[in-house]
Formats: sequence, structure tokens, C-alpha cells
Amino acid sequence: MPSSPSDPPAGPAGPAGPVALSVTGLAKSFGPTVALRSCTAEFRAGEVHAIMGENGSGKSTLVKILTGVHRPDAGTLVISGADGRPAPAAWPRNPGAAIRAGIMAVFQEVLVVGSRPVLENAWLGADSVLGQHLPEPGKRARAAAVFAELLGTDINLDAPASALPLSQQQACAIARVLLREPRVLILDEATSALDVATRDRLFAAIRRRRAKGMSTLFISHRMDEIGEIADRVTVLRSGESVGTLDRAEARPERLVTLMTGADHLAGGKAAHQRLDRPASAECVLRVRAVRLRPDAAPVSLELHAGEVVGLAGLEGHGQDDFLRALWEGDAGGRVLRVTGTTQTPIRSSRHAAGLGVGYVPRDRRGESLFAPLSVLENFGAVTSRADRRFGLLSHAARRARLARYRESLGVRMGKPTDLITTLSGGNQQKVIIARWLAREPRILLLNDPTRGIDLGAKRDIYALLDKLAASGVAVVMLSTEVDEHVELMDRVLVFREGTVGAVMERAELSRAALVSAFFGQEAPA
Amino acid sequence: MIRFLRSRPYAFALVLFAALLIANIALQPSFAAPSNWPETLAIFAPFAIAALASTPAIMSGGGGIDISIGPLMTVIDMVIVAILLPHGLGAPWVVVPLCLAIGAAVGAINGMLVTALRFQPVVATLCMNFILTGLATQIEGGSTPQGSTWWTNDLANSFGPVPGGLISLAVVLAIWFALSRTAYLRNLYATGGDDATSFSAGVDVTRVRILAYTAGGLFAGVGGLALMAVLREGEASDATMYTLVALAAVALGGTAFTGKRGSFIGTLFGAGCMYLITNVLSVAHVPDTWTDAVYGGLLLFAVIFSAGLANATQARTA
Repeated sequence: MPSSPSDPPAGPAGPAGPVALSVTGLAKSFGPTVALRSCTAEFRAGEVHAIMGENGSGKSTLVKILTGVHRPDAGTLVISGADGRPAPAAWPRNPGAAIRAGIMAVFQEVLVVGSRPVLENAWLGADSVLGQHLPEPGKRARAAAVFAELLGTDINLDAPASALPLSQQQACAIARVLLREPRVLILDEATSALDVATRDRLFAAIRRRRAKGMSTLFISHRMDEIGEIADRVTVLRSGESVGTLDRAEARPERLVTLMTGADHLAGGKAAHQRLDRPASAECVLRVRAVRLRPDAAPVSLELHAGEVVGLAGLEGHGQDDFLRALWEGDAGGRVLRVTGTTQTPIRSSRHAAGLGVGYVPRDRRGESLFAPLSVLENFGAVTSRADRRFGLLSHAARRARLARYRESLGVRMGKPTDLITTLSGGNQQKVIIARWLAREPRILLLNDPTRGIDLGAKRDIYALLDKLAASGVAVVMLSTEVDEHVELMDRVLVFREGTVGAVMERAELSRAALVSAFFGQEAPA
Repeated sequence: MIRFLRSRPYAFALVLFAALLIANIALQPSFAAPSNWPETLAIFAPFAIAALASTPAIMSGGGGIDISIGPLMTVIDMVIVAILLPHGLGAPWVVVPLCLAIGAAVGAINGMLVTALRFQPVVATLCMNFILTGLATQIEGGSTPQGSTWWTNDLANSFGPVPGGLISLAVVLAIWFALSRTAYLRNLYATGGDDATSFSAGVDVTRVRILAYTAGGLFAGVGGLALMAVLREGEASDATMYTLVALAAVALGGTAFTGKRGSFIGTLFGAGCMYLITNVLSVAHVPDTWTDAVYGGLLLFAVIFSAGLANATQARTA
């Protein structure tokens, strides 16, 4: 293992070197959704440069463009060449091309080939299709050295990667990148899968390479990590780079203000006219200490009739698992449907549906829509029984049922027999919601129902949820949009690292408070 | 011993192969006689090579499969007996390179259809299957063309002391061994194991897959030669003979159709098991009317058991 006396100090680097990589005016849209509007940033050799922003601010899109997964719609790239001088460069066509240009990334999702040995995982992609670029003994020794640097101990290089604990699997993915000596290292939430000791050794490894001129683009949801290692911070908001701060300026309050946008702070709350919701003590769903991850604290919840509860957090912090547990139950029977004095543990999604729970999934195309079928068929999919006349399905009955919801949800559509795919995303989502409403659920679970739909349809859905709550339905809604929580929710659970990091009541809700909680901070005063 | 068996995907096929070999020899002692080897191996070789040729596409993952191997071998058989031999082009330095080139080219086309054009592998290679079967019928014409020459007769029997079937098998295994000395097999295993991870690590997944289909086609070229040697004729109706049993041999050999786990050598043992099952049924005087049903049943049992063992191993290491 490399010895420590020569290690550079833990603090910030000295004056940073020349530009290693810079992007200007980067823009990227996916259909109608704008992921990046205008991103400009400069990453210097010998610096650790953090990128911060809330969900949907464009961090991941930026990384995917730099690593050749997506092609941008506009923008220019400058990479320092072999002589160290920055020169305009073409966008990498695929991850292989990005790696050859010296840009290499490690992601939050642990990317290893579980069935293959650790050694092969560490050198994955280093050879061409047929040719070996390094002799085998050299590979083994260099891999062993990097693993010693990251793990502080030796590792069995011949064990299959799937046999390692998650933290060491992630070390495999990091070793793969470090072995190829990146000029620009990108860590996209890569530290979230590491244990603390391994993370500290990774930071030491980064400092060593920083001293030799490596540029690091660092994305993390942990303010303390950014404070520890970042030399500069660039903040993204709604796909735009809104500022780059030096280490000394990058105080948490300042960053939160930049991320949320000061202009939002004042208004926001009154934007949506809420119906009065009757205060109710009637508990309809009880969650007793469900553990989402083995190492995270358990989560409990009492859901009352007529309230709207939001699930918030940066993506991938357990809110999806929690919503799924409400819908499918959990193995220990700790998710209970409460009706009056009886409590029934939810055993499966089918069981939950029978107990008056409805679920609108996030991925319309994959999980809820029958693309080849009509609007009418999509609407009636789970309530065919109601359309039975003398044991046969009656289309007239189904049409009549649909007509009721079409009006109350404001679904804009042609004939009921048109294909569901002819509707806009927002109207598709309304039909899916109508499908569940037709079962008259007492509890409605929604997973980011307004993702990718237009503002008018969003407003319609908000109004609908309001009406439902007023009529006594309990709503649990996961949303990746901060504004939605501020506008709509009675209560918000903020998820962090597999558990609830903060619970906020309506009066406490603000963009700044929520975003602060995403990053594990107290709300700014 | 147990650990060895559990850690290899082909362990079950190996054990079953050994047991079946003993059963065959016990029921029919002459099975082991060296004088019978050339004939046994000559009949075994085309089938085993068909199975081996089907393996790389499956190992490349992403639902990879090549069901045009059988017809490809038949077309190559047909090209030799109906076109090359009648035109006096029977010399091995003409026939062998040409057959291998045809095989590799068809394999490469399959690979491009699957990767560059993103066709479903099973659909793309089914189309190729139809095209090749049709071609074989064209070449066959009205009568069944027949033919052989000195070296193909040797291939069906033996070159001096070495059985010809062993040689065609050895050629395929040698090519695979040569590939194992390059980075290719590691890239293939990684691509089959997790294509998204491999892609993001910079592996050229497209070329790895094209090469897998090309290698399969190349092996089918060798298999076509071995088939021609033993049949000495070309019949288009043979085209689909190997398609499904070859895939069964791959499964029996412990290769998962997801690509996540697999081995070339396992396919060889899988094919060996299937050959020996057929043989044992015939020497045990199972009535002809029952052979297919018993064969199918035994195979089902073997495949289920093999998959079960492999899954247990995976669950343990996961």
C-alpha cells in the first residue's frame, strides 16, 4: 500500500492548474422535457469540483453527456490535449470514446459484472475486443496496489465480484477507473455505496492524484463530503449553471439559496387554492417500523383519512422502496390497513387493492399503460366486473362509467375507442388515475404522477387530489419536484439514505427548508 | 469434489456424461472398443459442433441465440456435394477455406442484424434459418446429390490412427482455445454477464457480439464439413435436424440462455450426454415407438436438474 508521508495535506489544493475540461452553453432536451437549458462550467487540472443541485437540475444529464451516453443538442466542449493545452473537442460518441479521452465516471449504481472475478472487473474495458494491452502479471500487481489503496487490505482478486460486500463492489468500479489514470474523474454519487473508512481512503487517493493534476468532478448529497474535499462548487438549477463558488464562499446557506433560487423563496405557498380539508383523527394505514435498508433506521407512519402526505428527497434515498412497501406490504407484516378497530397486514399488491388501496406507478409506459389498447380499455382494465351485464362485458356500461371521470378529471380526448397513446402524457396519466378512482379507493398512492406532463394537466391533478382529500381519501404521493411538496402536501417525509431524515408539517414547508433537508441540513434562518 | 462440481457450470453435464458412458459400456462392451471409435466420433462430431457453434451467441447475452446453425451446416454440406465436387474442386485447400468463409460470413451477417440493426436475435436468425433452408432446397434440385472424396472419407473414418471426427472437433476447440488466449473471451463473458456495465466501462459490446455470431458461423463451417463427410450426400430436409437438439445440448451443458453463465466445454459434455442417451436407449432395446418420448423425458429431467444445480450455486455465491 502506498505510504502516507508523501501524501498531500487534507486541505484545499494550491493554485489550480490549467483547464482540464470545460463546457459552454450545454443544452439537452428529451422530447418536451428540458434536462439541461444552459450549463457552463470549467474544470481545472488539480482541483476537486463539486456539482450541486436538487432533483432535475441536470446533474445526471451533464455526467451522461460528458461520458458519451447522450449527445447534447447544443454546447461546446474543450479538453486539454496530450500537450496539456485546452483544445476544442468533439463530444464523445460512447463511453469507450470518453474513456479514451480521459473522462471516466463512477456512478451511484454499482456497476460490476457479478459473475466475473474481481481482477477482470477492475480491468474491464481496458483491452480491445481481441488484443490485450497489458500483460497479465502487470495487471494483477497494479490492481492489487489500487485495491490496497482503496480498501487498506488485500483482496482476493479471483473471487467473483458478486461475493463481495456492496462497498467493496463499488471499490471495484472505482479501481477500474483509477487504474486507467483518468484526466477527469467523475464521481456521480459514487460515495453513497461506500462505508466511511473506504470513503476516507478514496478521498486520500483523490488528493494524491489531484496533486498530480487530475481533475475531479464530484457529485454528492452529503454537504460534509463536499466541505471536506471540494475546492470549488458549481450549482445547477433547472438545467442552468447559476454560479461557481470558491471553497471559502461555499457555505451551506449560500448553496441552498443558489439551489432553490431566491426568487422562489417568498411566494410559492399561495399559488394553489386549497380546499379546506377536515382535520381527521381516523387512521387508515399504519406502518410499524419498516426497515428499507439493513443499516438504516426503520420508518413508521400513521396515515389519516383526508390528508395528503408527500415523500421527498434526492432520488434513490428510499422513498421509492417505502411507497412500494405501502403498496405490496412487507415481509414482516408491518404495513397495516386500518379500518375502524381492525388492522390487516397487507400481503401483496393484489391484497392491497382489495383493501381499498390504489397505486399509480411512476413509469406509465412500463407499469400502468396498455399501449396497444384504447382509452376505454385502459380505463376499465381493473374494474371489468362493474361492466358485466348478464355475465358479458357491456361497452355501453363502460362508456358511461368513463364519461363520469372524463368530466371530473378534465380528460381531453377524442373518442373513447381511440388508442391511449394518442393522448398527451398528462391525459394518459388522468386516465390511469381514473382507472383507480373507479375502484373508489380509500387510500391512493402515487409515484411521481406529474413527471413529464404539462402545467395545465398538473394543475388538474392537484385539484383532483385536493377534492379526493376533501372527500376523506388519504393520499400518499412521491414527488421529485420540490414545488409540488410545498404547494400540495399536509405533511412531507424527507428521505435520506434509506430512512426518514426529517418530517415537515405544512407550516414548515418551504423550498429552502426542503432542499436543506435533502442535503441533511437545518433550514436556513 | 462437491465444491469443484458446484463451482463449475458444466459440472452436472460432466458427471452425467461419465455415468452414461459407464452405462453404455456396461450394456454394450463393444462400445469401448477402439475399432468403433472412428465411426462413433464421426457421427458425434457434426452434432457436437452444431451445439458448440450455438454457444457463443447465447453467451454474448442480451437474449442472444442463433437458430440458423443447423441449416447453415446443411447448406455447406450441399455446396460441397452439389457444386464443388461435381466441378472437380475437391481439394482440401479449396473446400476447407471456402466452407469456413461461408460459415463466418453468414455468422457475421447474423451478428450485424442483431447488433447494428437491433433485430431480436431469435427473429433475425429464424429468418436466416428460412433463407438457408430455402437455399439448400434450391441447390438440391430434383435429386439428392451425392459425393465424397479421399479426404472426406478419411474425415468420416480416420487419418492414420487418428479418428476423423476427433480432428474436426479438435479444430473447433483449438479455435476457442486460441480465443481464450486473447482478451476476447473475457470481453464475451463480461458482455454476457452485464452488458450495461461492460458498455459503460468501454467494452465495444457491438463488436464483441458480432464476433460471437461470426465465431458460431465459423464453427458451423467446420460442422458442415464433418456433416458432409459422414452423410456423403446433401438433403435439404436435414436442415432443421440439429436446430433444437443443439440448443438442448447447450442448456444441458450449464449455459444459461440469459448469457450470465456458460461454458464452451460444458456444451461438449452436454452434446456427449445427448448422444449417449440416444445410444443407451437403442442398446437397451427400448421400442422405437417409445424412443422419442423417453429421450425427451430424460432430457427434460437433465436440463431441469442442471439448471437447478446452477441456480443453487448462484444463490450461494450471490
